Amino acid sequence: MKPKVAFFDFASCEGCQLQVLNLEESIIELIEIVDVVSFREAMKEHSDDYDIAFVEGSIARPMDEERLKKIRSKAKILVALGACACTGGINALRNQYSIEMVKKGVYGDADIENNPYFDVFHTKAVDEVVEVDYYVYGCPVDKDELTKVITSLALGKRPEIPNYPVCVECKKEGNVCVFEEGKFCLGPVTRAGCGARCPSNNNACEGCRGLVDNPNINSELEVLQKYGLTLEDALERFKMFCYREMSK
Amino acid sequence: MSNESIYLPRPATIKNITKFTESESLFELVMDDNRPLNHQPGQFVEVSIMGIGEAPISVSSSPTKKKSFEICVRAVGNVTRAMHRLKIGDKVGIRGPFGKGFDTEFLKGKDILFIAGGLGIAPLRSLINYVLDHRADYGRAIILYGCKAPHELLFREEVISWRKRKDIECHLTVDKVPEGEHWDHNVGVVTTLIPKIDFNPSTTYAVVCGPPIMYRFVIRTLKERGLAEDHIILSLERRMKCGVGKCGHCQINGIYVCQDGPVFNYSEIKDLPEAL
Amino acid sequence: MKLIKKDEFLNFVDSLIKIDPRRVIGVKSKGNKFIFDTLNSANELRLDYDVTILPPKKYFLPPTETLLKYDLTDKFSVEAVNEVTPLIIIGVHPYDLIALQQMDIVFRDTYQDHNYIRKREESILIGVNIQNVSPYSFAGSMGTATTEEGFDLMLTDLGDEYAIEIGSEKGEAILNKYAKIADADGDTINKVHDIKGKIASKFKKQLNFPPEELPKLLEENYDNELWEKNAQKCLSCGSCNLVCPTCYCFDVQDIVELNLRRGKRVRTWDGCLLEDFAKVATGENFREDRAARYRHRFMRKGKYLYDRFGFIACVGCGRCASACLPDIADPCKVFNALKEG
Repeated sequence: MKPKVAFFDFASCEGCQLQVLNLEESIIELIEIVDVVSFREAMKEHSDDYDIAFVEGSIARPMDEERLKKIRSKAKILVALGACACTGGINALRNQYSIEMVKKGVYGDADIENNPYFDVFHTKAVDEVVEVDYYVYGCPVDKDELTKVITSLALGKRPEIPNYPVCVECKKEGNVCVFEEGKFCLGPVTRAGCGARCPSNNNACEGCRGLVDNPNINSELEVLQKYGLTLEDALERFKMFCYREMSK
Repeated sequence: MSNESIYLPRPATIKNITKFTESESLFELVMDDNRPLNHQPGQFVEVSIMGIGEAPISVSSSPTKKKSFEICVRAVGNVTRAMHRLKIGDKVGIRGPFGKGFDTEFLKGKDILFIAGGLGIAPLRSLINYVLDHRADYGRAIILYGCKAPHELLFREEVISWRKRKDIECHLTVDKVPEGEHWDHNVGVVTTLIPKIDFNPSTTYAVVCGPPIMYRFVIRTLKERGLAEDHIILSLERRMKCGVGKCGHCQINGIYVCQDGPVFNYSEIKDLPEAL
Repeated sequence: MKLIKKDEFLNFVDSLIKIDPRRVIGVKSKGNKFIFDTLNSANELRLDYDVTILPPKKYFLPPTETLLKYDLTDKFSVEAVNEVTPLIIIGVHPYDLIALQQMDIVFRDTYQDHNYIRKREESILIGVNIQNVSPYSFAGSMGTATTEEGFDLMLTDLGDEYAIEIGSEKGEAILNKYAKIADADGDTINKVHDIKGKIASKFKKQLNFPPEELPKLLEENYDNELWEKNAQKCLSCGSCNLVCPTCYCFDVQDIVELNLRRGKRVRTWDGCLLEDFAKVATGENFREDRAARYRHRFMRKGKYLYDRFGFIACVGCGRCASACLPDIADPCKVFNALKEG
């Protein structure tokens, strides 16, 4: 019996589901091993009978919470897909402001009172609402890692997601450390699994996969300062993707 | 020297599965090439399930049993959980046996005090059965076996048969007896059995295997009973990923568990801060 | 000893690239750093380099290497994989040659690792004596600034020409086949000897005591507070492990194709500084403490591998020191600090 798989999206750009479609010819292999029963980006059909739910996006409103809980109750396995779902991602940036300020800034004077669609709260990662079985990190998710997670689930195996930082993959690539080129990299504390894509292309790591389990934040902040950032700017570097983890 | 890869597993077929508990089963395996495993008690094999991975598992049967061998597997990681989904007739890959086992020659004529905690009975059972198969060669055989609760007792039938034998002594204990379970034996950690038995420290060797937390307490109690440090033999668990002394994961300070162990004399490792 | 004019040397390298069936690797620049990489032309060679980002170990123990491949549609269908590309590697410094000799011992010990051994046997190493010293390197005091063995050919820059020491028949064969060489006279031999004699003193960074004292020093300092103090800054990023020419630990993983029909088992570089390195399936982590992991690498370099194999497993290349962002990985600094007490 092929496992039945459904994809769901919440507050997100849906770029991670697009990564599924980006599997291109392999997608034929994907549908050989799983039954995709719901995938708004790729098909019209929808079924509420599924084993594995991939959830993209962060949770922004009470109505989203209700929908997510319903998904959780139907799924045997729930996988958080991408940065927004795993850590709140970029959406969590708004959590540094009051909800009133956020609403004002986005909707201005529009009449949004008593409209559930605009009834927003501070953004939550999926695991702040329901239990998450597995995480596929990244903005967007990495195709190879996504493949690894899907094959692992199909084989009944816990996916081996790295708990070491991006430096490991960056060193294996033989890259010149981007710090030496004047860039401020979060690779030393960011969870690997992306193949060090950004530093391998001469960009600093922005931390999109979130932090390793026990990041040495103080040391990373010292390093960022040693290479020329102020403490304030160094902390700012983490806000884009690691707001939740840093506010702990 | 052959050019064969040291990482290539040989196929073995599951001949029998005995379920002990929800998460622990005994798998009887036969090598497809019918070559005996030729292990020493206390050695381990690397068990492969292709697509899942490989895990080090101690051999539970005595080498006197030649046509097949047994491994007792607790479902904790990817490989061991996948193992529990296999059926009789399915195949796994085997590399090994690896490491240094119990010195059955050296132990001849000695009294042996077996102390097992939980899954620690698995490697000890290999030596226990070896001793039972060569009973006249060894002195007293005393088994102390403890687990968390009565329903977690492994090798239940066999343990009962050991208790019935006149030529061995077998004492059982559980940490506690949950409501609704029946237990006629000692209650308390395995260490609490040690003061209750008589043994001669000069002729007795303790052979100990259990979870990491157990060793310190057992060793202290054995020493209080007058057992010399070099009369204590331990089997240690580490992450023996390659089994052949290359990958570095099983290192305890300067020693490799996969090569120098998993069986150690306590006097060899007592000064290694990372050992216990 | 032989002599080759520099323009003839470039011709020799170009002939190797064009004619010899082996792949030709050499030191090239990357940004303001250097790397070992496939040579497309002799002009890319930078034999004046100080140190490369990664050591040539990557060709014999690749960052990720397939060990097995299998077919999951069969009950048990597995075959060993050993992808060997014969190489000629040009420009290996003596400390890296010595590190490879240490790796040879490790991978030949007890169980022969043919994935490593065959790659070594099928390759030719052309060494070069150090012309520019990396500011992080302290090879001069580790006895690894020069070497008399471990190479097939060894070059020394003499201005307009290179002196070539022949270390093996394989090395001699490619010279005879592809190079226009002359015999070196007594004066040249003395000159090379002189140059080599002076290399060690070019290193500004020095271990303040003979490296033979390291095993005892480390044993005595197992509980030194330096480990804890430095480890507070440790990112546990494993960079020091991954760039090291004598770190060889690896992890093993199964990777299955999306069709679930075929898969492979690979090994990939691992590092004892990484948090989960000594973690077992039950969740127990036998080296959970950052400081314990930090100490382990130094103990391994200066004592554990010495006890086991008889060599100090630090060749003083300085790569770990330059890769460590919080600057705590430098063995020279750490060993000197322990010695000073």
